[in-house]
Amino acid sequence: MYMEKEAALNVAKSSPHETSGQPIISIRNVGKTYANGSVVALSNASFDVQRGEFVVILGPSGAGKSTLLRCVNRLAEPTQGKIFLDGKEITENARELREVRRHIGMVFQHFNLVPRLSVLMNVLSGRLSYRSTWRSFFYSFTKEDRAIALECLEMVALGHKAFQRASTLSGGEQQRVAIARALAQKPTVILADEPVASLDPKIARQVLTYLKEVTHSLGISVICNLHQIDFAREYADRIVGLCDGEKIFDGKASELTDNILKKIYRLNAEDDSDASE
Amino acid sequence: MSHSGNFPLEQPSLTYFGKAKFLAYTLAAAIFLAWSANSLELNAGELMRSMPVIGRYIARMFPPDWTVLEGLWGPTLDTLCIALWGTVIASIIGLPLGILAAKNMHSPAVIRVGALTILNILRSVSELIWAIFFVAAVGLGPFPGALALGVNFGGILGRLYAEAIENIDPKPHEALRATGANHVQAIMFSVIPQVLPQIVSYNLYWFEVGVRSATVLGMIGAGGIGFVLVTTIRLYEFQETAAILLVILVLVTIIDRASAVLRRAIVG
Amino acid sequence: MTPASSIGAAVADGLVREAAWRQRRIIKWVVITAICLFVLWLAAWRIGLNFVSMLRGLPHMADVFMRMVPPDFGYMERLIDPTIETIQIAVWGTLLAVIASAPLCLLAAHNTTPHPVIYSITRVFLNLLRSINELIYALILVSAVGLGPYPGVLAIALHATGMLAKFVAEEIEHVNRGPIEALQAAGAGRMQIILMGILPQVLPSLVGYILYRFDVSIRSATVLGLVGAGGLGFSLITTMKMFRYHETAASIVMIILLIMLADWISGRLQKRIL
Repeated sequence: MYMEKEAALNVAKSSPHETSGQPIISIRNVGKTYANGSVVALSNASFDVQRGEFVVILGPSGAGKSTLLRCVNRLAEPTQGKIFLDGKEITENARELREVRRHIGMVFQHFNLVPRLSVLMNVLSGRLSYRSTWRSFFYSFTKEDRAIALECLEMVALGHKAFQRASTLSGGEQQRVAIARALAQKPTVILADEPVASLDPKIARQVLTYLKEVTHSLGISVICNLHQIDFAREYADRIVGLCDGEKIFDGKASELTDNILKKIYRLNAEDDSDASE
Repeated sequence: MSHSGNFPLEQPSLTYFGKAKFLAYTLAAAIFLAWSANSLELNAGELMRSMPVIGRYIARMFPPDWTVLEGLWGPTLDTLCIALWGTVIASIIGLPLGILAAKNMHSPAVIRVGALTILNILRSVSELIWAIFFVAAVGLGPFPGALALGVNFGGILGRLYAEAIENIDPKPHEALRATGANHVQAIMFSVIPQVLPQIVSYNLYWFEVGVRSATVLGMIGAGGIGFVLVTTIRLYEFQETAAILLVILVLVTIIDRASAVLRRAIVG
Repeated sequence: MTPASSIGAAVADGLVREAAWRQRRIIKWVVITAICLFVLWLAAWRIGLNFVSMLRGLPHMADVFMRMVPPDFGYMERLIDPTIETIQIAVWGTLLAVIASAPLCLLAAHNTTPHPVIYSITRVFLNLLRSINELIYALILVSAVGLGPYPGVLAIALHATGMLAKFVAEEIEHVNRGPIEALQAAGAGRMQIILMGILPQVLPSLVGYILYRFDVSIRSATVLGLVGAGGLGFSLITTMKMFRYHETAASIVMIILLIMLADWISGRLQKRIL
């Protein structure tokens, strides 16, 4: 198949990672220039994500990681290149946006829960794309939705907090709720945009472990932006290094040498602070 | 006190130009004030002359005449009803206009400016003037009072609603859009839950203000306790006036407390 | 990770609890809505507010409105003096309130009051001042000292004093204790503490509040004339009583312009000062 050939070519060029069938996400020459034309957020990025793979995009803040993820579910429109979900191009047809987004869950740095709604309602909101607008006026869901939402909450071990307000939870718990919301979509891919950047290291590890184990057991692929090298090494099946909007590394965690890291972080002593938000 | 070197001493002193400007402003203000006092006939002599008169009027208020209380239940209830419906009408007017006027709701520029202009006009014309208009149109009674309150408060509430909507956290909305929810669904699940407590709390507060306003709406014939109050003043029954003023004070205090409790129960 | 079987059990249990929770919520909202609607219905019935009277009123409103447009812009010229008078009333009313609240706010703040009894008395007095509307003051004062802007100034001053003094008293109560203790340690007197320790801390919010108060005073001053206390409201009510609706409309337009101007100015000043 055409897709596969191109994917294989790309992998051969940049990564010895084994391809197993068709990639779930293919990113081809994607670039984004912001409206005024002066800022290039992302240029010519290409890589694939396989089914069930946990890919970490590593890079300093401002490297274009966030823009890249947002292009995948089109919270941002790429100005060049194509993105394929399961072999279907998603960068073209705006009408199917809702359908595409349903298959792609997203987890944000600041959790982005609705603080005044209950935990369960927040998770249920992941089911909105399956339900009609008039139903949403009454905050009503089907029994199936409720079962799915509760199951997803159990998977992140927060079933006992289902009826509390989201705002009463700690940061780590809120992020787990956000993961459950993404899982409730029954997605094939989850995008995680700096999911642990506002959590302390111990909680961060816990959240990443939940994210990794749950998605692994369900066969969901994850594209996760991180700026912490140690987390990237620990959790990634594969790492994509991004700097100034360009991909400069694509390979296994073990292949991430200090030299490459220096390149990703343009590491001079005074640039050190760039690595953390 | 210790004077460390960077305390006032090293602050750049006012330049001559700055001093002259300051002096000019002060002088201009003083002249304006003097001229105003003159044309308002506001002077020490007038104050001296009027204070005893005002004192006598206040003295005539005591002791308050509590016999008016019996006839006050009905008008008090009317006042509360006027304030209540005034606030309801205000929400009905204010909510759609507020949504249209909020920047982050992205309504077309023409509509947004239009909504803002309407809100401004409704707000600028006081409820009393609206009441005069409505009384002229539909006759005396509490009904025009409620309408007047509703229209004026609609302008105020609409602007407050718009600000509340503009201040919401846009991130949950984006998160819901990312799940594939459509615009309306995302508004139902992110904007409404965030804004609702604010709206409720504004409404309670403006109900409270409405009770105060409703007491004066009576002056121009819009019913309620204010009407009784004005009648007693016009008839120089100042002891009754005092009793009614105290009733209003108690009423407003009770409403104040009750709405604080309600607000905490609903919003907290 | 939790094994799948235990998740299944937990979900089943969760669904049961969810049903109970949802039922409670629905009942709560139905009860609240029912109570609200019932109260509103009672209130509407009490004041004769209903759809029919609303509809019947509409043609009359349209009629009065039609008699008002177009506003008599020629009359605007004769509104200049009342407009200036309105501004003057607001300025002097606010100024008198500032002067009067200077001592009152110190008495009404528990950290500057000389005695708790004086504190309580001042608080009650301020509450009394605040809770009576300017128009009621104006009405009483007009009957005491006669028609004109003078009772208007006093009316605004009385109400604004209650508002301003209470606001400042509360600001004083919330000042940072640190600088004051430092001054006390340095042996400063009561007046020195107030001037050097408290005033600088409350000044920014004080200036902001005075500007806000002035804005409110302008609004009030436009309607004081309705009871004969001068300003634009007086032109409005007299033209209305003579059924010269075009002139009334001109007065209303003038009031709107004046209030928008005051809004704009106080907004700009606030931005510059804060």
